[in-house]
Order: sequence, then C-alpha cells, then structure tokens
Amino acid sequence: MSGNYKSVFDIIGPVMVGPSSSHTAGAVAIGQVAHKLFSQKITQVTIDYYESFAKTHRGHGTDFAIIAGVLGMQTDDLRVPDAVRIAKMKGIKVKFIEHEGKSPINHPNTSIVTLANKDKEVKVAGCSIGGGTIEIRKIQIDGHEFFPTGPLPIIICLAKDGKQNSILESLACGDDFIVKKAERSISSGCCLLEFDLDKKPDEQILEHIASMSKELICL
Amino acid sequence: MYRNVSSLIKACDELNLPIWELMIRSEMKYARATRQEVWDKMKNQLQVMENAAHRGADGNGVHSPTGLTGGEAAKMRKYRESGKGLSGELILSAIQNSLATNEVNAAMGLICATPTAGSSGTIPGVLFSIDQKLHLTEDQKIQFLFTAGAFGLLTANNAMIAGAVGGCQAEVGSASAMAAAAAVEICGGTPNQAAEAFAMALSNLLGLVCDPVAGLVEIPCVKRNVVGSVNALACADMALAGLTNKIPADEVIGAMKRIGENMPVQLRETGLGGLATTKTGLKMKIRIFGEDMD
Repeated sequence: MSGNYKSVFDIIGPVMVGPSSSHTAGAVAIGQVAHKLFSQKITQVTIDYYESFAKTHRGHGTDFAIIAGVLGMQTDDLRVPDAVRIAKMKGIKVKFIEHEGKSPINHPNTSIVTLANKDKEVKVAGCSIGGGTIEIRKIQIDGHEFFPTGPLPIIICLAKDGKQNSILESLACGDDFIVKKAERSISSGCCLLEFDLDKKPDEQILEHIASMSKELICL
Repeated sequence: MYRNVSSLIKACDELNLPIWELMIRSEMKYARATRQEVWDKMKNQLQVMENAAHRGADGNGVHSPTGLTGGEAAKMRKYRESGKGLSGELILSAIQNSLATNEVNAAMGLICATPTAGSSGTIPGVLFSIDQKLHLTEDQKIQFLFTAGAFGLLTANNAMIAGAVGGCQAEVGSASAMAAAAAVEICGGTPNQAAEAFAMALSNLLGLVCDPVAGLVEIPCVKRNVVGSVNALACADMALAGLTNKIPADEVIGAMKRIGENMPVQLRETGLGGLATTKTGLKMKIRIFGEDMD
C-alpha cells in the first residue's frame, strides 16, 4: 500500500474550479509549493512540462492553474482561470516549455516550476498523482538540492548548525510520526533542513521549531 | 487508516460500526481535528456538489469555453420532466445529475472532485437520485460521502485514481465502485454487501481507457460519468439482493492496478489514442488549438 492519500478529503475533494483534478487542481498545488518556498517578489516563472502534462496542458487549463498556485491562490478561487493574465499584469514574465521524452522524476504528470528574481531562484519538481494530490520529488533553493520522498507534508527550515537534532527530536515526539531528514550545509554557520513527515505536526510543535529556526516553511 | 477492504470490513464487524463511522474516526486522528470539524468539512463538500448538480441542469445549463460540451443536462431535465423517459425516474435523475456536474466542471465551474474532477459526476448522480427516491436526511448524505471516501482511499493507495496513470477505469471506475458501496450502506445493507457492490462495480469497468478528445475533460468524460452512476446503482441493487462478485474487492483493486500498468500510454490521458484520434476527434482538436499542435 502506498499511503500517499491520507485524508478522506483527498478523495472527496478538493473543492476546485474545473476541469481536471490532476491537471488543474494538482497543478495549483504544485504552484503553491513553489510560491511558499520563494516568498519574495517574483519576476520570472518558467514551467517545464513532461509526458501527459506536455501533451494536454492547454486543454486542461494547467497553465493558468499552475500560475494561480504560484500567485498563492487556492484551488477553489474563482480567479484561477484568469491567473496567467493576472501574473502578466503584475509584470511577471511567464514561460511554458513542452518537453519530449520521459519525466526526470518518473511520473506522467510532471511539471518543474522555476521562480526567480535577481536575488533568488527556487525550482520545484512536482507530479500530480491524481485527485488533486501531489508529490514533490525535487526541490532546489539557490543551488541547494533536496530529493524528498514525495508525499506532503514536507518541512523546510533554515537553522543554525547544531540545531538539527533538537528539531528532529521535537518533530519526532508526536505519536506515530515518521520523519525522514535531509540536510545541506550552507554558508555562515547555517544549514538548510528538509523533513518528510507522515502527517502535519500540530501548531505547538511548529511554533517550537520556528523558535529554533531562522526560516520555516511547512508544505 | 485501513490497509485494504477486507480489514475495513472486519473492523466494522468486530466493532459493530458502519463504514462511515470508521472513516470519520480515522480522519479525526489523521487531521487532529474534532468530530464537528470533520463533519462540517464534509457538509461543505456536499453543498458544493448540490450546487454544481443544480447549476448544470438549471435553465439552459452551462457551456464549456470550447463549445464541445454543455446544455445537455438541461435537455435531459426537460426530457425527464416530460414523463416520456424509458429508464424510470431513479436512472433518469442519476443521468441528469451526473451530466450536470461534469458539464459544470468542463465549463471551469466550481465542483468537488470525487475522487477526480473528470469523474466528479458519478457520485452526485448516484447520491442525488437516491435522495430523490428515499428523501435522505442531510446526515445520511454526509455519511454516504464518508463511506464513499473510505473505499476511495483504499483504491487510491492500493492502485491509482489518475487517468494518466491507470486510464478511466481508475477515475470513473473508482468513482462508480465507491458510489455503489455507499449506496448499499445508506440503503441498509451490511458492510460486507457494500464491499460486494464495490467489487462488482469496479469489475464491470476494468480496462476502461482515458482517451479525451483534444486532451479536454469533455468528450467522452461527461457521458462516461453517466455509465459510472448507472453501473453503481445496478451493482448496489445486485448486492442488496444478495448477489456476490466471487472475486473479492481487494483482488479486483489489484487487477485494476495491473491493467493500468499494462495500459499503453496512448490510452492514458494523453489524447493520442481512442476517441481522441478519430477523424472527428482530430478535427475538433485542430479547430480548438489550431494546426500547430502535434
């Protein structure tokens, strides 16, 4: 059993603007992940499509959906179909690229979202596995790469060197939690941490981790 | 969360509880939410489904931006109201509600994916036709959705629910089987009968391909949901009559997974095979997207 679908609302839901849960709602969700990781003013968005996404993105509204997510909209936001126009009005350069051949993360519904401005670049490789549920299989923040196992929730945080284990401990103190950790050291005594979780931690645990981090993003 | 249908049914029997109750308890634990929160969220999903089914059949209905689909749920409603229908009120109502929901989806309106947007009409078709016949309470309709969700979770985790991964059997097939199981439970059947209805409905739609014209969730998706709804009602009746599927539900899910894995990519939501590559299907694609599309 894969266990990728965890909530009854992954199945009876999401509430969304049509027409496709994998190619529209899932695309919004992949865009939202990039949006959360970037958290700055965006000047350029590049979307790379593979396999089914490359063949059918126009018909399924994947373009506006993914841009809606990048702009921080939810799947049930009635502005979703207008998102590409809204992004262009905000002065964001938007580019869609269709690729021939296999997905680099091995799924027919793959898109790679790259957000950039002159200071920062974030790349998210996500796949939409059906019913609006997504997996994130690669994250790149300013050149630092992570390869999460896929299913959300995933926590990304920037913390001082040495804090890794205390953060891991507070995450793992919850009941039947599964935590997998990856880390990348970066300059000035800080490291970037990624935790793959079995379920979303409660607010108390999140606040505690936030107090030990410079930056905390819960995907 | 339960691993498979047999362990879910076993738990229902041991605890003497309905499937929907176990699904609510499991969700509360996963989401760290109260019973009320979980219940209210499902109530919201139900309202979205009711609104979409109503909107799609009201007046002259809704139309998709491409013009490929729309207005047919409204046509169906007028025909049903004329009293000339061949199929009887329950089936006609299922057809109407199923079409209406999927037409709203194709028109980029607000729907609830059950389990996907492309298959979002199947469950409303079943639920609202039974509601019209049996006058369900709101509580019963919400319970129906939790039971459907429980079977959907097991299908999604043990096989797939995306057309791009497993074809339409994974979308309309799954939705139909989920609806059949929930229909049995809401009509007073046992958890085991619900599992039989699920197994029958999924078995009947194994091998169904995903071949959308121009890659759009319109042709044949809108009308395929009708088959999902009607199949679910037939299988619910068969299970309530005491018929069994012979092949257990978990093995049917396994069969769907293997069929999906063996299905050629042309028939998995790429628009490269089946109805999508008929002469008329290709003409529609060119009309919508122009000649430059490969």
